Amino acid sequence: MKAIIRTEKLGKYFGAMAAVHEVNLSLQEGLFTSVIGPNGAGKTTLINLLSGFMLPDCGAIYFREKEITRLAPEKRVKMGISRSFQVMNIFPRMTVFQNILLAVLSRLDKTSSALSSLQSQKEAVAEAEKTLGEVWLQEEKDFPAGELSHGDQRLLELGIAVAANPQICFLDEPSSGMNPIERIKVLELVKKLAAERKTTFIIVEHDMDIVFSLSDWIVVMNRGEVLAEGKPGDIRENQEVRDIYLGEEI
Amino acid sequence: MKTKLAILLIVILLALLPVYAGKYAVYVVIHILLLSIFSLGFNLLFGYTGLLSFGQAGFYAVGAYGCAKILLAYPSLLVGILGGVAFTGVVSLALGVLCIRHTRIYFSMLTLSFGMMIFSLAWKWRDMTGGDDGLVGIPRAPLEIPGLFSVNMVPMENYYYVVLAFAFLAIALFYRLVHSPMGLTLQGIRDSETRTACIGISVRKYRLISFTIAGLYAGLAGALLPPLESTVTPPLAHWGHSAEPVLATLLGGIYSFSGPIVGSVIFYLLKDIIVRFTEYWQICLGIIVVVLVMGFRGGVASIFKRKGGRP
Repeated sequence: MKAIIRTEKLGKYFGAMAAVHEVNLSLQEGLFTSVIGPNGAGKTTLINLLSGFMLPDCGAIYFREKEITRLAPEKRVKMGISRSFQVMNIFPRMTVFQNILLAVLSRLDKTSSALSSLQSQKEAVAEAEKTLGEVWLQEEKDFPAGELSHGDQRLLELGIAVAANPQICFLDEPSSGMNPIERIKVLELVKKLAAERKTTFIIVEHDMDIVFSLSDWIVVMNRGEVLAEGKPGDIRENQEVRDIYLGEEI
Repeated sequence: MKTKLAILLIVILLALLPVYAGKYAVYVVIHILLLSIFSLGFNLLFGYTGLLSFGQAGFYAVGAYGCAKILLAYPSLLVGILGGVAFTGVVSLALGVLCIRHTRIYFSMLTLSFGMMIFSLAWKWRDMTGGDDGLVGIPRAPLEIPGLFSVNMVPMENYYYVVLAFAFLAIALFYRLVHSPMGLTLQGIRDSETRTACIGISVRKYRLISFTIAGLYAGLAGALLPPLESTVTPPLAHWGHSAEPVLATLLGGIYSFSGPIVGSVIFYLLKDIIVRFTEYWQICLGIIVVVLVMGFRGGVASIFKRKGGRP
């Protein structure tokens, strides 16, 4: 299997604190990968670095062996790298449909069209409708996004992320704030989208039951470093991971 | 359907205005149209892109002085107006490159500073701008295309139709723009810059486009002024003048297409009426604006929206 994204001695430091320190990762295409670790382990910083929302202080990032270390986020999206955020990040004043449509228009390079109507963008409209259905939001299509329930806003954020039709998509706690049943549903949806759209998902998640049941590969971080990585069974048996993060009950 | 009928009625009333109304009414409506164009451009930045500019009067003045200089040198109305607008486009693009690197209060302060720099230039560069005397004796040149036609613009009613045509064109283009993919992109930037960047859109590029278009609208409003008044003076660039589209837009509603137009009508008429009764008109106007803004959250145009029609 090929590495879709790879890092070499990646580092990000805030004063004396190492948020990410000499991380060497090679994430494989097609594997549903989870990044886990205690609070402050550097998971979100790692995603910010990989998606371009933070620039590293040292090291390098390669996407399909092409260096993207200092590439702007919007250019990474055009290459096929998408993400969602830990704190909800949608377009609250726009309708649910417009949220998805804008992402599709961007992918189709139609955002600079100033004199055509939105309705005339037939390809984008059809694709946005399809994506809405995929994330179960067809009935909420015309609602202002900011008025959706928390769970639906999470689904919308997932919809925006996949509307870019990414090759790799980072989801930072996609089920946070949801009840256990909603969490399972959402993460199963992510797995389904991964299969249907052939997108490699990398998720940060705190629910270990879900992580171990859905993931093909798990990366464990602690204090900015990769403590361990491997298949769920291997991680579960790793004594260091159990001592630092999982505890004995897993 | 009701909205379309209302728009048609307004268009007919405006088109026939010189027939049933006096010169003063025509003069007032020209000023309302100029403020509407000015405010629409401002709201592209504020209501649609999320950037509050306190320096739009600078671009208004660039358009006005540009048009005035051209008309003084070459008396052709179209050349004067279009030249003023083009000059403003260049200036707003150049200043936009510097301003759009920042957002929120930093952006607002930068625009205020550049606006006041333009005011200082208008005040101090006497050779070019006439200093505090301004430029006077600007002709209301004929509307002509050599060899094709020439229309005398000396009667104000004739010039009114030129302003009306430019206003309709500006409003129609604005409507098309804000309902286009680019308009949706600007609204995305207003709602969340990070999310917009995260779907592959260059936020800076579209901020610059929005800034330049807003400058062009201010420049158009400014360029239409010298043929009406025959004079341009530095206060056109003053930050106090920049406050007019801000107030008009807040009155009318920042999140609706028609808000700046409705607000311009209310703002100008209020100002025009109050100023007849008291020299302290600014206090009265201020109180009325505060009451209206607090009473109609979302702007006066939101009343029509609540009743079901598109504002």
